[in-house]
Amino acid sequence: MIASRSLYVRLALNALVLLAAAVLVFPLVWILMTALKTQSQVMAWPPQFVFTPTLENFRVLFDAASAGATNYGTIKIDFLSPIENSVIIAVGSVIVSVIVGVPVGYVLARRDIPYKEDIAFFILGFRFAPVLLVVIPLFSVFQAIGLYDTYVGMIWVYQVVTLPMIVWLSRSYIEDIPRELEDAAAMDGASSIQIVWRVVLPLLKPGLIGASLLVFLLAWHNFALGLMLSSAKAPVTVALLKLLNPGVQFYPVMAAGLVVTMAVPVVLILLGQRHLERGLTFGAVK
Amino acid sequence: MADVKLERINKAYGSVEILRDINLEISHGEFVVFVGPSGSGKSTLLRMIGGLERITSGRLCVDGRTVNDVDAADRNLSMVFQNYALYPHMTVGQNMAFPLEMAKATKSKIQARVGETAKLLQIEHLLDRKPRQLSGGQRQRVAIGRAIVREPKVFLFDEPLSNLDAELRVQMRIQIAKLHRQLGNTMIYVTHDQVEAMTMADKIVVLRAGRIEQVGAPYDLYHHPASQFVAGFIGSPKMNFLDCRLVEATREGARITLSDGRGVTLPVGAIDLPSGSPLVLGIRPDDFVPPGANRDELSLDIVVDVVEHLGSVTYLYGAVGSDAIVAVSPSNQVRGKEASASIAVAPRDCYLFSKDGVAFRREGVSERWN
Repeated sequence: MIASRSLYVRLALNALVLLAAAVLVFPLVWILMTALKTQSQVMAWPPQFVFTPTLENFRVLFDAASAGATNYGTIKIDFLSPIENSVIIAVGSVIVSVIVGVPVGYVLARRDIPYKEDIAFFILGFRFAPVLLVVIPLFSVFQAIGLYDTYVGMIWVYQVVTLPMIVWLSRSYIEDIPRELEDAAAMDGASSIQIVWRVVLPLLKPGLIGASLLVFLLAWHNFALGLMLSSAKAPVTVALLKLLNPGVQFYPVMAAGLVVTMAVPVVLILLGQRHLERGLTFGAVK
Repeated sequence: MADVKLERINKAYGSVEILRDINLEISHGEFVVFVGPSGSGKSTLLRMIGGLERITSGRLCVDGRTVNDVDAADRNLSMVFQNYALYPHMTVGQNMAFPLEMAKATKSKIQARVGETAKLLQIEHLLDRKPRQLSGGQRQRVAIGRAIVREPKVFLFDEPLSNLDAELRVQMRIQIAKLHRQLGNTMIYVTHDQVEAMTMADKIVVLRAGRIEQVGAPYDLYHHPASQFVAGFIGSPKMNFLDCRLVEATREGARITLSDGRGVTLPVGAIDLPSGSPLVLGIRPDDFVPPGANRDELSLDIVVDVVEHLGSVTYLYGAVGSDAIVAVSPSNQVRGKEASASIAVAPRDCYLFSKDGVAFRREGVSERWN
């Protein structure tokens, strides 16, 4: 039997949970509120919690025609193409990582190759290296070979972030798929490619969608690579930095940019949540 | 012609030898059971026949063709796995259609074969379900269905019943035996359960530590075990072994004495050992009878530890001298918890082994049932 807690203990515990939630949620709520305020409301003291929300800041972000003109000044922004860049770079990185990484994960999970653990650890090792260490030499290399500020170059260099994760996650997911299923498919007359295509990949799908989502977020949030290796093709994280104006600070517009940047992962997580569960292999073996 | 032929097959992982010098012929339509304790290499041998394990050396022929280097997919064998290994993302129908799709059968043929097979195994009503919605017994039947749907030459079974409960196991055992009669294909079946081996096999292959210990029909293995190991492995409860000594070997047989001085003459073939040599006497628990039934019987006094009443029979667990012993007695012979019992065995029911476990030929026991 579970010992029942006294009323006071329960109240105290719940209060603690509420406090923790408030601490975590407060900055997010603050940013959202700022994004919906006017500049003068943002600057007002004491801070206003009751106000009429406006979407003016989002208009400024995306209204290329009026070129960032507000009723109190003009901010030079183009927020649409950084979002486009980020989507292309992040989606491209995930696709390349999955195409390259899943076969690597499969080999690491299933085949006996010499130095297997060393290779696996070497791949993971890229996750340990500080990105800035790599990015400075890469800057001159990229400029020399013409990859600077190109999607191909960005997607390539983002593999440092995305590929090790895909390799390691797909390896562990494949290890969870009972080997007998592959043996059974071989006995049923399937070739190695058919085994992977008809048996392994369908079972890997939920895990792979979850892993892709995770890796997409890593790519989406990356800042240093984009800052150093791109200008016109800069991702949204770099564009956020450019919202810092030399003169007047357009706080509500910056907050609106943050909200847009955060919205993409939040929507993706909500959409992909059901794929994060991996109950599909249940029932394969007893 | 032999369906499957193994010639001097060896298997090693690095320097660890798993199987040594396996020679075996399996004819068409035979039901062969590989039996042995765990670690004896029986599953590895089956997987080598199936093509899931490489053959280190030797030659494997299936249907007259050497298949050492042929992929599992191209050997035209099928296999039922211990864990069923059903594809969890496919329905029962799709699971059973898979081997036919791989063989590039036409849609109409696939449908017809899956239908027939499902009917044979009484799983027609399950075709649209996913494996996770099935019970253990149903999954097992689907796994068998997937194996037979392609009508291969040889079926391989890798301990298919060990995950089922006792009652279901008996049912499935009978169903597989029936299936073998209906289909007439060659079946190779791996189990560690000697009851399955005895009841299903045309031919039993007893494996021990990577070697074939004995090959024979169930009757032969039971009545003419080649070694003390086979004698102890086949039959339940296990055969009793008592230390004894050879007094003299004559034309009538071997005169032996037990440690307590009791003696008996056993009808066995020629023994080329000096008198006084240590031997092992084997007696099956169900060969014991009440004393006085035979004139030249061997009678024993058991110190009984535990009595188990099973209803139709009673098991007596105890010891004779320093040797542990189990005896099966008709239930009306033993009442309550007796502390000691007198039992006897006819000389023709005894088995005799050398100290290193080789059986001496039993005379007067027929070779086969007929």
